[in-house]
Amino acid sequence: MDVKTGGFEEVAHTADLEIKVWGRDLSSLFAAAAEGMFHLSGIEDYEEGFSSITEEISLDAMDYEGLLILFLEELLYRLTEDYMLFEIYQLTILDNFSLQAKLRGTQIKSYQRDIKAVTYHKLNIHETEKGYAVNIVFDI
Amino acid sequence: MVSITDLNRVAACEWEIPVSYRSDMRVAVRLFASEELLQEVTRDKSLEQAVNAATLPGLMSAVLVMPDMHQGYGFPIGGVAATRYPEGVISPGGIGYDINCGVRLLASRILHQEAAPHLEDLATTLNQYCPSGVGTGGRERFSTREVEEICRKGSQWAKTAGFASDQDLRRTEQGGRISGADPRHVSSRALKRGSGQVGSLGSGNHFIEIDLVEEVFDSRSAQVMGLEEGYLALQIHCGSRGFGHQVCSDYVKSLQSAVDRYGIQLPDRALVCAPMDKPEGEAYLSAMACAANYAFANRQVLSHHAREAFESVLAGRVKNWGLSLVYDVAHNIGKIETHNIDGKDIQVCVHRKGATRAFGPGAEDLPSEYRKIGQPVLVPGSMGTSSWVLHGTEEAMRRSLGSCCHGAGRVMSRSQAKKTIWGEDLRADLAEQGITIRAGSMAGLAEEAPAAYKDVDAVVDTVVQAGIAVPVARLRPLAVIKG
Repeated sequence: MDVKTGGFEEVAHTADLEIKVWGRDLSSLFAAAAEGMFHLSGIEDYEEGFSSITEEISLDAMDYEGLLILFLEELLYRLTEDYMLFEIYQLTILDNFSLQAKLRGTQIKSYQRDIKAVTYHKLNIHETEKGYAVNIVFDI
Repeated sequence: MVSITDLNRVAACEWEIPVSYRSDMRVAVRLFASEELLQEVTRDKSLEQAVNAATLPGLMSAVLVMPDMHQGYGFPIGGVAATRYPEGVISPGGIGYDINCGVRLLASRILHQEAAPHLEDLATTLNQYCPSGVGTGGRERFSTREVEEICRKGSQWAKTAGFASDQDLRRTEQGGRISGADPRHVSSRALKRGSGQVGSLGSGNHFIEIDLVEEVFDSRSAQVMGLEEGYLALQIHCGSRGFGHQVCSDYVKSLQSAVDRYGIQLPDRALVCAPMDKPEGEAYLSAMACAANYAFANRQVLSHHAREAFESVLAGRVKNWGLSLVYDVAHNIGKIETHNIDGKDIQVCVHRKGATRAFGPGAEDLPSEYRKIGQPVLVPGSMGTSSWVLHGTEEAMRRSLGSCCHGAGRVMSRSQAKKTIWGEDLRADLAEQGITIRAGSMAGLAEEAPAAYKDVDAVVDTVVQAGIAVPVARLRPLAVIKG
């Protein structure tokens, strides 16, 4: 897997925040979604590298959409509760809708925006010519 | 996308999308809007979301949408839907992530001209005493046991802890304590997030605002509420913080499988729901009550801090610096209520997402003084604009499930607002209008600019014309504290 082959952009939404995310495969899609969420939280600048803390997480769900929400909520929880920002350096997504991720974290001092939740609104991971794409609405 | 031609006019400010509009609708959608506001609401997806909400099992009457509606996720913001209790469903997405986000209004006997020289000082002190901003918790961290107590007792906990008076409790929707709240239905993560945030404002559109009672329209009702022209008032707008967000997130996830189990077809997974007589629905109802009680307690603790701030600045400078609660209403909540639907009294769960309860005169849940006039309905405007105090009507009981609008309603996305409005410029503009701002972030301020919202006066005009509320007083902002 290659987590660096995805991207995201913000889409206009009247009250909440929405991003369009794409990736060559599911892993890069998930990693790009995490990057997009951190971008929305307003934590682009951090001084230290991602070497200090390494963590592994494993999650499972009923489908890929559910898995994506679990994954983002996990990262969001760690951000808001522990002020931890994570870089995803290894991510494996299996056909049974489970995920294993190796994360490198860094402690941050602050972030600019509270994201209340990652919503299921019209959440649909779909295949594209170049891989996968999904639109995610965050309640803020 | 729903267009204006799909709407049938049923009254001056009331429109209907008939149940025949889409085959999966179980009930019609009715929206309250003037012709002018109608143009705005068809620009985003709020009506399509209302049509989606109209597919929920157990709906007993049309899904209602208030004139401040805008696009949300799942339900539109401004949506009201009543499902039969207990066989019908409850949908966490029809209540929102910020469970019991709400607003309270406190009246004072402080004359504007007496307080004017101290307003800057008052804004600064309020900002210091009432913690606000991204990631900022309350002044105290509570144990899990204490948070569980808050879940069970809401404002009653606040009273025991010395943060509330009896009148505060009487003048809070449902006494500030919803029954059936069992913290065993709340995750340890929610309890952990809740432990540090009691008595904190948060960020986003939440605020504390010092207002001037600028004009009174119904002097009898205003007198009962303690509002008089020329005096200061205070509004607090916030909810259940990370605790409520976590409860909603937990149940939106766990109910995904319940939908399959009970054979419920949904057009949008954000509408996930469960029947209230099934374990999943019962559990959410109980967890939601915990979060609602948490929010009541949160606003109550913030009121206590605000009273301390007023005392610290104004004691010795004005005769009476006290703040007396007018009312506290939830605008993101599911309430078990009895409504007369098609001539029968039926127990329903009224989902209000970005909509305020607006009971008419005689309603049992109201304190005796308001039973005569109807429930105070609080409609805060956007940052630089007026806010309104209304009261509920008998017409609201008949036509809107005792519900009304909750604010101005956004029209502009946050990114667009940030692109077109500069926080510093906005602060200077507001200062010129005599409005003092204390804000945690200039970008956050720009997102909440008045231009990003509908005209609150037009929204209020619509509900008044529709007969679901009567204007009591208009408030003008003097100082705004934002996270």
